[in-house]
Amino acid sequence: MFKKIIFPIIAGAMSLASYAGIASAENIKIGFNVPLTGFAAADGQSALHGAELAVEQVNANGGVNGSMLELVVYDDQASPKEAAPLAIKMITQDEVVAGVSGSYSGATRAAATIFSENSVPYISAYAIHPDITRAGDYVFRTSFMGEVQGRAGAKLIGEMLGKKRVTMITLNNDFGISLANGFKDKAGDFGIEIISEYEYSIKDREFGAIVSKIKSENPDAIYASGYFFTAGPLVRQLRAAGINQPVVGQEGYDSQKFIEIAGDASEGVMITTSLDRDSSNPVTQSFIEGFSNKAGYPADMVGASGHTAILVLADALSRAGNTDKASLRDAIASTNLEASTGQISFNALGEVQKDVQVQVVRDGNWHHHSVVSDAVLLAPPAE
Amino acid sequence: MLAIDILIQGFIQGSIYALIALGLTLVYGLLRILHVAHASLFTLGGYLGVLITNATGSLFLALILAMIVVGFVGMLSYRILYRPLLSQPPLIALIASIGIFIASEEIFRIIFGPFSISYVAAPLQNQIEILPGISMSEARIMVVLLAFVLLLGVNWLSRRTRLGIATRATVVDPDMAMSSGVNVDVIRYSIFFIGSAFAAAAGVMVSLLNNLVEPTMGAVPSYKALAIIVLGGLGSVRGALIASLLLGIIETFGTIYLDDLLDRDSIAFAFLILVLMIRPKGIFSKG
Repeated sequence: MFKKIIFPIIAGAMSLASYAGIASAENIKIGFNVPLTGFAAADGQSALHGAELAVEQVNANGGVNGSMLELVVYDDQASPKEAAPLAIKMITQDEVVAGVSGSYSGATRAAATIFSENSVPYISAYAIHPDITRAGDYVFRTSFMGEVQGRAGAKLIGEMLGKKRVTMITLNNDFGISLANGFKDKAGDFGIEIISEYEYSIKDREFGAIVSKIKSENPDAIYASGYFFTAGPLVRQLRAAGINQPVVGQEGYDSQKFIEIAGDASEGVMITTSLDRDSSNPVTQSFIEGFSNKAGYPADMVGASGHTAILVLADALSRAGNTDKASLRDAIASTNLEASTGQISFNALGEVQKDVQVQVVRDGNWHHHSVVSDAVLLAPPAE
Repeated sequence: MLAIDILIQGFIQGSIYALIALGLTLVYGLLRILHVAHASLFTLGGYLGVLITNATGSLFLALILAMIVVGFVGMLSYRILYRPLLSQPPLIALIASIGIFIASEEIFRIIFGPFSISYVAAPLQNQIEILPGISMSEARIMVVLLAFVLLLGVNWLSRRTRLGIATRATVVDPDMAMSSGVNVDVIRYSIFFIGSAFAAAAGVMVSLLNNLVEPTMGAVPSYKALAIIVLGGLGSVRGALIASLLLGIIETFGTIYLDDLLDRDSIAFAFLILVLMIRPKGIFSKG
């Protein structure tokens, strides 16, 4: 009885192991640190689905230069103290050709420094802290910096919507603060007067006091940074209090979950982001369809960002023609690729240069509103 | 008008804190254990509230079921977690409790997924004008009413029933109560049931206000409720209730007027430090 069960298991395990051994000898390994447990696990799961989808798509088309891509995935809990040793492990033990961060800024900064010191290319899929790409020449970012998106928000409100008296509600972490800085930086240029600013913590879901105060101030528009799990309750509470002025958010809202949480209150909310759901771009369309098939829920910005980062890497690998780190780095730097989040190219610092998409909630879904296309306004820092 | 509006918001927040802190302070009074895992029961209550409402369409049923189920889970937590540790120093039970709390966040994530869950059709969202110019959703009014009714119920239980009198006797002197024929274990199970059911009610109310439940929703209550019961004088029910309301109101005003100085969650602790410097045993301690 015992033998009957154990023997096939061992035999199976051995054949699996040998199969894995043969396969991995030819595969191109890409390190992927992503929060799969802890407070950021929801975003982590989307990022992972997006990245896996990209790998499947590339491999289904014959891989890169005859080799298959293989993701080496580690859970970093969005924590720097987890990400740093994982980065070392990916580089020394797994010998990845490059790394991608599907994580938040803290973890990404910690890993970026280590990848850079070891001259292994590293791409931040959606972490926004300005110092990430400053870790060195081997670090790139395929999403907007917070400041850049903040500037786009100022143009959207001040110029495109023509709203001038604006209240800001700012999430007091690196994401919210850098968005707010970008917004304030350019608000004056678009005739915006910031009449008040309130800060809240990522743990807040209850905004009663802020809502009451804003109601008494009666602004023309509200610029509120946050993630779908903070912005959902916030928008719901704003609308419930009878505040019907435009609310402009950013890519942190960019999830079907935002609409689910805020319900009818989400109608008309606008965000600056990098995923255009109504895009005619075939890469974006196949991503949107592939993502919802794979994940079982609609595509979001984080998923698209994970997808884009892997595609950028795959494209660079195929142009480099080999897995030498220095030539791969140069190939990434000269990227000009149509990806699921738009046309991707990098400046000297490794920051992405692309248009900002404005999406609006209509009939319970995100839809195209407009595009902020202004190379000067949206220029990321180059050093 | 703004001040009144904010005061009411603070009162709502305070009512939620009161529902959570009550169980914590009862457990402390009875067992001298800081029951950090209480916040896990709050989260469980929220999840049950949303899931049962979505399945049956009845918030009322969801609230009652959530309170009963979580009440029993609370009793279970006493049976498997605290009871075997009663002979150990309280620190051991505290560490075990923190461990359970951390593990529970991941267990919620594994069972219910990392994404938040919302009501399919959130109930009680109509606006009612309670004062000229100030309207509230029915859910907000419900929070205050529910807290009021439940806390009155506990007051009645503790003053008018044998269970209540026996509980108070056990808090004052467990040995004496036992020798007078009080079954201390029954008291403890009952307290865990009541305290946990209240935490579940708070969880359902918070899920209603925010229209979401998530694995980490217990994180803030886990430590803020501790601050509240320390403020109120450990083990004092009345103290915890007053501290809850005060903190709710102070935090809400602080969100607007201390915004540049202090994060909302740090207000509780700044207040706590201040009070402990002046009255080391809590605001409402005797002596």
